[in-house]
Amino acid sequence: MACARVPLDEQQVTEPSPLGKERTLPALHPDRTEERCFVPYKPPPEDGSPADVEEFLEHARFITEDLEWLLALPHDKFWCQVVFDESLQRCLDSYLRHAPRGLDLSTLPSSPAVADMQRSIHKAVFLTFLRMATHKESKEHFFTPAVFGEIIYENFLFDIPKILDLCVLFGKGNGQLLHKMIENIFTQQPSYYNDLDETVATVLQVFDTVLQKCGLQCEGATAAEPMKLNAHKKPTAMTMSQQELLDIILYLCDSTTTINAFLDIFPAACTSFQSHSFLSSLTSFYETGVPDLEKAIRKRNFDDKSLQEDLWKRLSHSCRKMVETVHLLLHHTCLQPILEGRENMQTFAEELLQYFTSFLPEKRFLTDYDEQFPVADDISLLQQAVPVIDETRTSYLLQGVESAWDSVGRRKPQSQTRTSQAQAS
Amino acid sequence: MSPPRLTGALRSFSSVSKKEDFSEQLYDLKAKRLKRQELFAREGLTWQKIVHFCTEHQDKSQQQAASQELKSLLLAAKQMVASELGQAVGESAAVFLFETFHNKDHVGTEETRAIKHMFGPFPSSAAEASCASVGRLVALLGDSRVEDFIQSQRSCRNLDRSAAFGRNIAFSHDGYTLDPLEGLPFSGIQEESASLDF
Repeated sequence: MACARVPLDEQQVTEPSPLGKERTLPALHPDRTEERCFVPYKPPPEDGSPADVEEFLEHARFITEDLEWLLALPHDKFWCQVVFDESLQRCLDSYLRHAPRGLDLSTLPSSPAVADMQRSIHKAVFLTFLRMATHKESKEHFFTPAVFGEIIYENFLFDIPKILDLCVLFGKGNGQLLHKMIENIFTQQPSYYNDLDETVATVLQVFDTVLQKCGLQCEGATAAEPMKLNAHKKPTAMTMSQQELLDIILYLCDSTTTINAFLDIFPAACTSFQSHSFLSSLTSFYETGVPDLEKAIRKRNFDDKSLQEDLWKRLSHSCRKMVETVHLLLHHTCLQPILEGRENMQTFAEELLQYFTSFLPEKRFLTDYDEQFPVADDISLLQQAVPVIDETRTSYLLQGVESAWDSVGRRKPQSQTRTSQAQAS
Repeated sequence: MSPPRLTGALRSFSSVSKKEDFSEQLYDLKAKRLKRQELFAREGLTWQKIVHFCTEHQDKSQQQAASQELKSLLLAAKQMVASELGQAVGESAAVFLFETFHNKDHVGTEETRAIKHMFGPFPSSAAEASCASVGRLVALLGDSRVEDFIQSQRSCRNLDRSAAFGRNIAFSHDGYTLDPLEGLPFSGIQEESASLDF
């Protein structure tokens, strides 16, 4: 056991070498790692054939047994294993990549034994990540914070895709713990903010890719060279194969849920998303992509009607998540600073109004947003917190919202109508 | 195959993750079982300790009977592991079987699962034979003596699981589920397709 009250990264231990001679080495040293051979995770079989079930159970039993062993290790031994055992990192990574999620097409385990095993492994994986995100386990067991930040970053113990996976897999019921974990990771290693910046750019490409696949955004659309009339037409949501449409909807559903879960659990990331004009890209995607996908699901001929219904629900779920994400972004980057009475309230208020104004042409998005989060309520809050708000502007905004409802041919819920009329007058 | 996921795209198209070839598997089940057997063999209880325990303080006839059962147990154990792995592996397997069957009178589901987890597929006759041998050994020595012996060996080698990290953490198994917007009822689909039917 390593000595106490000294950070683990500075501790030395004296242990017998493989040849039996005593030697002193750093507490964090590859020679102190046990060769355990963690196996990678495989998801529960979909068809539930006995052989596949047995194979899943055996894999899963090895993993839970090994992770429980790992969690029972003393602090120094745990970290040796985490840093130097490649098979452990592969095992954890395989879980994040392949574990079934609540939104997957078939998530019901084939048998109670499989369900129980999946629950055990799910918890053990979470606890392992939780321990890996903790730089101070007790008064005696801790790291120098900067070294901890270096270790988790340089060894890819956490990276942005892993953090997003953790949020979508565990965030629903363990939000507070996850918030602490992620906050600690970003605090001890600010380089993760740079990675997040890079990731947001890729996330935006994901939405562009969906539009491209639906034939709504051509590569080089602005290119100088005109397209030949007989050029091969790009497939659209109506003409692509059913499998492609299914993949796009599943992808959209996963992406919107993941982003929403991450921003909900770690609102500090909202600023990074905003710095890439994420909000306008998302609303623009909503306006352009959603009606097209909806139309395809409505009008295409599905042999399996339950698949059609499922796709509709997934698209609708994605819409909800996009609307909620926009609200989260507005709330954390504009409204929250105003409500907290921070400096430059006027600037935040101006920004919020600017955003709402930019939504006015996106009528479909605006009505769905207004239905979930009435714009009138936010304007009212704004007027209370910042009395110098230009009333002509807010009235124009609220009238714009009303006209958006009219132009999409939908009727606003009664309760909201009264509030916004009062606001506008 | 996993469905298309955002994080999959991020791993492929951004440079924030470690690039690894996941098609190459580090360990398969067979390798894992061998490693597990190796780790088990390194733990406190050894075949020599069992032999010593079973034959000490016994009169000659009992010693002979115990030796015979130990031989049968070792033979059954060797049938369960790959024969080319040698004497040490066979002895370690016999230790495992002794521990598994010391308080059992038949080969139940739990025991079958535990043996398969350790050695992979095995002949059921070997399991039956080892269970019977252990049963006769325990009868010679007495249940409580054997139990005390096993417990004393376990306490020497096991990690304190009750002090494991996270034992007091309230974990929720809740997961995100589909939550469609109320404003987009599915009934719209039928309306739309009905309007085309003329």
